[in-house]
Amino acid sequence: MLLQPVDAIFPVLPPSRAWIVGGSGIAASSPLSGLVDRRIYEHPVLKFDRGRRVRIIFEGREIPAYENETIAAALYAAGIVHFNYSGHLKRPRGPFCMIGKCSQCMMRVNGIPHVRTCITLVEDGMIVEREDVHDAELPTPTKKMKVEYVTKDYDIVVIGAGPAGLSAAMQAAKLGAKVAVLDQNPFLGGQLIKQTHKFFGTKDSYAGTRGVEIAKMLVDEIKDYENVDIYPSAQAIGYYRREGVLVAFQSRRLAEYRVLKLRGKRYVVATGAMERSLVFPGNDLPGVMGAGAAQTLMNVFGIRPADEVLIIGAGNVGVIIAYQAAQAGIKVKAVIDILPKTAAYLVHASKIRRMGIPVLMRHTIREAYGKGKVEGAVIYEVDEKFRPVPGSEKDLAVDGVWMAVGLTPSVELLELMGAKIKFVRELGGYVPLRTQYLETTLDGVYVAGDATGIEEASTAMMEGKIAGISAAFSLGYKADWAEKERAHAMKWLDEFRSSPHYARIKEGIQKVLIQK
Amino acid sequence: MSSSEGKPKRVEAEELLEMQKELNAGYISLEDLRRAGNLPPGEIVEKGIPVPIFDCLENIPCTPCHDVCPTGAVVMETMNDKPKVIWEKCTGCTLCAQACPGLAITIVYPKFGEKRLKGKRPDAEKLWLVSIPYEMLPIPKKGEKVRVYDRGHRYLCDGEVYTVIKSPRFGTILVNVLVPGECAFEAKYVEVIRDEQ
Repeated sequence: MLLQPVDAIFPVLPPSRAWIVGGSGIAASSPLSGLVDRRIYEHPVLKFDRGRRVRIIFEGREIPAYENETIAAALYAAGIVHFNYSGHLKRPRGPFCMIGKCSQCMMRVNGIPHVRTCITLVEDGMIVEREDVHDAELPTPTKKMKVEYVTKDYDIVVIGAGPAGLSAAMQAAKLGAKVAVLDQNPFLGGQLIKQTHKFFGTKDSYAGTRGVEIAKMLVDEIKDYENVDIYPSAQAIGYYRREGVLVAFQSRRLAEYRVLKLRGKRYVVATGAMERSLVFPGNDLPGVMGAGAAQTLMNVFGIRPADEVLIIGAGNVGVIIAYQAAQAGIKVKAVIDILPKTAAYLVHASKIRRMGIPVLMRHTIREAYGKGKVEGAVIYEVDEKFRPVPGSEKDLAVDGVWMAVGLTPSVELLELMGAKIKFVRELGGYVPLRTQYLETTLDGVYVAGDATGIEEASTAMMEGKIAGISAAFSLGYKADWAEKERAHAMKWLDEFRSSPHYARIKEGIQKVLIQK
Repeated sequence: MSSSEGKPKRVEAEELLEMQKELNAGYISLEDLRRAGNLPPGEIVEKGIPVPIFDCLENIPCTPCHDVCPTGAVVMETMNDKPKVIWEKCTGCTLCAQACPGLAITIVYPKFGEKRLKGKRPDAEKLWLVSIPYEMLPIPKKGEKVRVYDRGHRYLCDGEVYTVIKSPRFGTILVNVLVPGECAFEAKYVEVIRDEQ
């Protein structure tokens, strides 16, 4: 079914007039009065390579964009935060995750519905429209879709090109294995590409180096290997267990598709994690987003998602984002957390305290409100039993509410492949059972990084090494240095997790460790 | 629930800053540092040698300060140890302050004015130098006035930018600020005072 030509599933129709004027039967909510430019041109630690200037058409208006921007980024840069309508109540919606996981950024582009605009790069002249995500029509593409089929055999197929996936691929390639790496994002490096702070850890984990530079180093190195094929903008969509074939859908340009049938003797699943949301009235308003999404806009694309924000969650992610917001020239009205004590590293938290960013513990959000987008939020204090303290409500004028309330491992692919998973609170949700060498219950299917449980980029790199080396070893590739590297990575992880900050991780791992 | 209490009051960040409780939200006091042994003893300060102040009080897996120190002044056995400073070994090179991911290290040069600026300015005697890591905009310029804040963003004094060190390796800027000696150990953050034009 999947392997039918896409043209047969989505017939190419003559472009209807409908999309030119009003989108999928939805009138534009308001004319865009005077476009703004929310791009950051001066930043204390980052420089942005935006590439050539192009233009896209949003609901009849020309919008300036740059070729290295995704559609979602270009719209945000122009101050457009409302991307589509909810199916039932037609509520305005906007992106939540900005890394291709949440589907809240879907729009109709060049007549093709449900395009995830946060991972689709702009092309000159693209026609972008809001869509009703429930009642999307059949595609009426403006150009004929091109589909190509690629079938290839590999020793190891790595899914996810973040710190874990790239490290796994690199080690396996060094050992001589033929490796494929795919990622659904157009850029490689996973979430490293937006980490502007210097990393903790040791020399072996690039401590003292900013995440964005680590990404560059990993990507530059892996590109030198001739035995590694990289597939960006490729999403794994199916796995045929009997044949051992992974099917992925690659789309480097809109309407130009490659269906990849990759047969790996081994797989390393490094699919990362997804940000969590909180339940409160108005949590679906455009402008309410994951902290990581805001980070993508600020640090990858150099765009200010908001002028004044409320950040929910004062763990490491929350306080780091607050710091980065200040670097981007955004006013952080407050960082709040329902817990009595911050879970963040003291050094990260004290960084924003000394700058005068209010950190309010025992506070949470009552609602976000606004017409079409966030215009304010109400917070309140809670007592020891998390009951609201009467009269403690405060109203903040903000145009952004960013949630840093934890992440959940992305195990959908592993589950689909048939690996056994288990809910482990300490690790952030459902995670796969695995051996100490990170092999799942499926023979030959390994896992690394946040998909094993929520930790960090440094641990992801170490896990990637272990998984990549182990996968290659199981195929008969051998080398002394690799034995040493793997043993070192395992020892390093053990030591890293000995910090009181990570005691829970150790407990969690015990619950999913298996012998084979 | 909220309607019975009327409309919640609109508040600004400045008011929220007042409302925040000191404990458990990233605030470190000088007393915390003293108790942890992170402040130099009197005789070291008397010597007028540079003293790095580590606002690093937790066992976290992090070693760059130890890795970059050329003289072995920062001791750490395992990656989760808190750094321990051997005061006599510090040369004041500032590499640790540049490398620290937590921007937790400031370096105080006691009696800097007395030793280096005597005769050059009338207030030399009371000026000490503090090296403060900085990653915001605008970047301070030599000779510029800055507002100097403590660990809880309380205003301490005005300072004068003596030099600005840009670290190509770590990308963090060090602002070397002349401040009255009495606020040198408290100084942890600066804001540029610049007339808006």
